[in-house]
Amino acid sequence: MIEVLSVITSATVQDLGRWGYQRYGVPVSGVMDEVSARIANYLVGNPDNTPLIEFTAGGISIKFHTSAVFAVTGDATLYLNDTQLEPWESYWAKRGDVLTVRLSKGMYGYIAFSGGIECRKILGSCSTYLRAKFGGLLKPGDKLKLGYSLLTGKAGKRLPEELRPRFDKTVRVILGPNIEHFTPEGMRTFLTSEYTVTPESDRMGYRLEGPRIEHSEKGADIITEPIPRGAIQVPANGKPIIMLADAQTTGGYAKIATVIRVDIPMVVQTRPGEKLRFKAVSVNEAVQELRKRERIMNAIRKALQDEWNLYRIKVGKEEFLIFAGMEED
Amino acid sequence: MKVRVVGDSCIAIIFGEDISEETNRKVHALADYLLNYNPEWLLDVVPSYSALYVYFDPLMIDYREVIDIIGKIKINEVERKEKRIIKIPIAYGGEFGPDIEFVAKYNGLSVDDVIEIHSKPLYRVYFLGFLPGFAYLGGMDERIATPRLEKPRLKVPAGSVGIAGKQTGWYAIESPGGWRIIGRTPLRTFNPEKIPPSIVSPGDYVKFVPIDENEFWEIYREEWGND
Repeated sequence: MIEVLSVITSATVQDLGRWGYQRYGVPVSGVMDEVSARIANYLVGNPDNTPLIEFTAGGISIKFHTSAVFAVTGDATLYLNDTQLEPWESYWAKRGDVLTVRLSKGMYGYIAFSGGIECRKILGSCSTYLRAKFGGLLKPGDKLKLGYSLLTGKAGKRLPEELRPRFDKTVRVILGPNIEHFTPEGMRTFLTSEYTVTPESDRMGYRLEGPRIEHSEKGADIITEPIPRGAIQVPANGKPIIMLADAQTTGGYAKIATVIRVDIPMVVQTRPGEKLRFKAVSVNEAVQELRKRERIMNAIRKALQDEWNLYRIKVGKEEFLIFAGMEED
Repeated sequence: MKVRVVGDSCIAIIFGEDISEETNRKVHALADYLLNYNPEWLLDVVPSYSALYVYFDPLMIDYREVIDIIGKIKINEVERKEKRIIKIPIAYGGEFGPDIEFVAKYNGLSVDDVIEIHSKPLYRVYFLGFLPGFAYLGGMDERIATPRLEKPRLKVPAGSVGIAGKQTGWYAIESPGGWRIIGRTPLRTFNPEKIPPSIVSPGDYVKFVPIDENEFWEIYREEWGND
């Protein structure tokens, strides 16, 4: 069992989301940054969808009431008692140890525990969704039970620097589906301007400030339609809103574009005051990028879970990371 | 039927630009077909008034193939044969419906007229969205149409039935809200412990049945226990 000692801004329990209930008005929810969350689970030997703690910039302190293997991902600084540790690595904590984490950059960090957090599933998922009171914000005194896991060999895993997420702040999007609601000038504004993430941003969506996007004579409103994650709605004020994990399932503003799945982690890690730009890509390019990422994620999982080996090889002055293992098919 | 790509993991099938029962029936016929067929690559289907959004795993199937498969489905053959009618008991007025007198006055009617007009039609559930269990109902009589509150309430109890313009419906979970509340159903219209979690599904029909205060509390205790 672990106990929450303090939370600076907010922290919740999340998994990869609640799929299959959007037609009943239930948002998917789940982790905001799937790459950091999934890698946190890989580092402690868990499968992708294992419940873990998602914390925001301020950070969180927890106390271990049992020994456990844990890992923190995100641009985090962390201390176990008084010892500074590294993110993207797994460690062994003893009973009585206190873990304190803060984010130095980015918006969301993750703490995964070997065996995962035990929770009562609602509609098949442990994801917290505050508006419907599915779970709640973690607060001091909350105790979370950890799942059973054989801990041998799970501490001491490390994700090499080169494989950690790097963000360049150009967000790739697929244009549409409501582009006829925008003028060519509006489309140009969207694709050539810088937009700043505002403080009115949360798990539901990120509101952006920047040059006003012009609507066509069709206006900003559409007949209410569903909203997928990453969809960029532009209400009548011309300022884009990127819809994220807790977004309502349907909405009535025209959507100018949708962020490709691979770039959603970069969007969610952008802090208020930081800037984003948009670049249009084809569906084919988006899917190729996703395939590439998933090949890497699969290799990372296997290397961290001792199915594959990861070697660092020096050839002349250049260094290469090599994954060595057998592909199933 | 038009097809639009929405990002890398979703396509929208658009059946029209209007809010009509005929268009919406096609949306649900396709949704039902896909849910029944339930291929491995299908993550979710989300219906709305005139569009069906199909969420798929792009690692398992190319979007062009999804479009191709959907294009070959013959909607007419799979249309719903019977309509499901869900009866929703409501206690109108009093503590359950603090705005019913305003709605009556605004439309030059008596409270009894409002109850009669509101409970008469068979409402169609066009789709659910906005909040868990929130149903977009079609078919309210315009004689009781009333604008929203100028200042929304901070807390509307679950089950409250309201009117906003020409729309009517209930708050399935407690939330802030600006609709004119005319009554309340004791039924638990959204219960995440159940699958499906909502008492109505998109494509169903709803009939409001007036009940009195005693009946309200009797049903309420059965539905909610003592909490």
